[in-house]
Amino acid sequence: MDFSFSADQQLLRNSARAFLDEHNKPAHVRALWDDPRGESEALWKEMAQLGWLGLVLPEDVGGSALGLVETAILEEELGRAACPSPYLPTALAGMAIDRFAGPAQKSRWLPAFASGRARGTVALQERDLALLPEAIHTRAEERGGKVALSGVKQFVPWAHVADVVLVPARSGNTLAVYVVETSAPGLSITPLAGMDPGTRLAQVTLDGTTVAAEARLSAEALPFLLLRGAVGAAAEMLGAARRCLDMAVEYAKVREQFGQPIGSFQAIRHKCAEMLLEVENSHSATYYAAWALDSGAEDAELAASVAKSYVNDASRKVCGEAIQVHGGIGFTWEYDLHLYFKRAKALEPLYGDAEHHRELIVRRVAR
Amino acid sequence: MDLTLSAEDRAFRDQARAWFSANVPSTELKTLEERRAWHRTMYEAGYVGMGWPKEYGGRGATPMQQAIAADEMARANAPAPINGLGVGFIGPTIIVHGTPQQKERYLKKILTAEEMWCQLYSEPNSGSDLASLRTRAEDKGDHFLVNGQKIWTSGGHIADWGILLARTDTSVPKHKGISCLLFNMRQPGVEVRPLKQITGSSEFNEVFMTNARAEKSDLIGRLGQGWEIAQTTLGFERGGNSMARVTRYASAFDRLVDAAKKLSRGGRPLLEDPVVRAKLGRVFAEMEVQRYAALRVLSALQKGDSPGAASSITKLSYSEFEKRYYELCLEILGPYGQITDGGLEETTLDVDSSSGVRSSWAYAFLWARAGTIYSGSSEIQKNVIGERVLGLPKEIRADRVKA
Repeated sequence: MDFSFSADQQLLRNSARAFLDEHNKPAHVRALWDDPRGESEALWKEMAQLGWLGLVLPEDVGGSALGLVETAILEEELGRAACPSPYLPTALAGMAIDRFAGPAQKSRWLPAFASGRARGTVALQERDLALLPEAIHTRAEERGGKVALSGVKQFVPWAHVADVVLVPARSGNTLAVYVVETSAPGLSITPLAGMDPGTRLAQVTLDGTTVAAEARLSAEALPFLLLRGAVGAAAEMLGAARRCLDMAVEYAKVREQFGQPIGSFQAIRHKCAEMLLEVENSHSATYYAAWALDSGAEDAELAASVAKSYVNDASRKVCGEAIQVHGGIGFTWEYDLHLYFKRAKALEPLYGDAEHHRELIVRRVAR
Repeated sequence: MDLTLSAEDRAFRDQARAWFSANVPSTELKTLEERRAWHRTMYEAGYVGMGWPKEYGGRGATPMQQAIAADEMARANAPAPINGLGVGFIGPTIIVHGTPQQKERYLKKILTAEEMWCQLYSEPNSGSDLASLRTRAEDKGDHFLVNGQKIWTSGGHIADWGILLARTDTSVPKHKGISCLLFNMRQPGVEVRPLKQITGSSEFNEVFMTNARAEKSDLIGRLGQGWEIAQTTLGFERGGNSMARVTRYASAFDRLVDAAKKLSRGGRPLLEDPVVRAKLGRVFAEMEVQRYAALRVLSALQKGDSPGAASSITKLSYSEFEKRYYELCLEILGPYGQITDGGLEETTLDVDSSSGVRSSWAYAFLWARAGTIYSGSSEIQKNVIGERVLGLPKEIRADRVKA
């Protein structure tokens, strides 16, 4: 039994942190917030060079065949840097195509993902806030050997830069997930402006968009995506929370009021201790879930829901309390704290909010 | 990262599981002698003092094996061993700081529970500020004369011996004038009074010492070294209870789900009420996180890392969780959760609570209030985390200014 990272995993984290500290400084994040595209092509190419974009993909498509623990490490570092990037949705699309698609789809997309030539995303939500299968209304109709998709998907991460989107749809009572090129006729994308400009979202409308029959993936891809998305988001939120904690602690050591560093006051010190507790528990939850999904542990799905529901609340609390520790300066646009605060908050409702995952937990443990 | 048990640990688990299922007493143990006999059975099978070095009667077991054994004990709903403080930390203190004569005299009888031990630390006016304690141990040449009052003495009424912190020098700053003594509880001048707690039961006592005697040969470490000894995180039993604790929470959760199926609200089972479901999901997630955190701590211990001040995070985490947990159980169960006798069969909590006592939901709820106070309150733990883990500046303390 070993809950620690291997030397290779530690190296991955160290190099990711060093890279992002240099190439994704807060000023860079702010520049991307103002950019219509919202992400950096140059950074994406570098991520491909570093092997991040093919991290979990097989070696024969240019990947490294590593696992979800490694992915979570990278996602934690991306969250810690509030890096605006379609990394998570692209990784999810890649994992699902690798797992569920046929050879044609695999060769079409996986080498393109690994090399940084393509970006992907997943459309898990519709107008209804529930992420349960019964809330999927997008229709899939057989038309002469092809499938026509019609429906509206909401809050699709980074759809405006994606080359391909995975679309859950129903045909009667049968669900499936379709691999759809964003350039396909009848597919339109309406970007949404959100509170965190580092997490771009869009509405994706499909109006009779046709795909080949081979673009159809098993309905199992749906929980597969949701749970891996949940763990990935948890890792990013963990990273944002740890950054906020670090900033709050550093500030509490140097900020003086009443002739003393504010960190010497129990009101502040105890808050920081509670924040650390939440960060450490979030770490345990996130990496347990990543390991469990990777190794096919019998409680893997449960662990993913535990992680997302726990880290949602914990990261919101930690990032919020960091603002409180800072006082007025933490409420200014100029100070960087809100970059991380907003990143954690933006991920809260995505890939299942806490209520969704609590319901999944109860379905599993209280039958 | 690999969170599965090693083949060796799996074999050990299977062996422990088989042993407990074959040996757990079939009837409730009512008297101290019955519990001592059960303790003795476990000791002879090697499940008491597992972490103690072999030369002192332990088996030098790894933290993981200790955790597995405790977990299996909880799964089997086995009565806990007695003399927990003796085995858990007083014995280890003697092993680390004691003289060869002290080791020879005391250790074996701690393991076998032939002699029961208690801890004489807290005083009515010295809780979180333990170092302000006033019990005196006056040097009378061939012995110490002990006068003072202790409180929150767990098991004091059945103890033969106690580990005592007493002031031996009033002329030096408070942390420096305290000594650590082994103290005979069976002597004139020692009066033990049970302390009735909010649970209605009396696990704790007050101990009054009036012209009592401690032998010179029973001084642990040097004169004035008592505070230092008390501060050292000791124990070869560390991590032992970490998984077992969560196993007990989990068996209570199963009872809660059973009750939620059988009780109704507005004409449908509680379990179908969305509010109840949301609460169950939340508390289950928190409970699982306690389990993952316990595995993480065990993993570090297995590698020989000492958690040091970080163990304050563990203590803060589980004790605060336990309060929230039973609060939520009682919220869900409504008035049924508060019935201690005469309620429905399905709304009784017939499992060990984390105190190791067979219990009602009400008892578990009330007992949970103790966890965030004993062994360093949550506020003290947060101070430790803030200062020693996060490196925040110490507060200016009136009692340190003079020193």
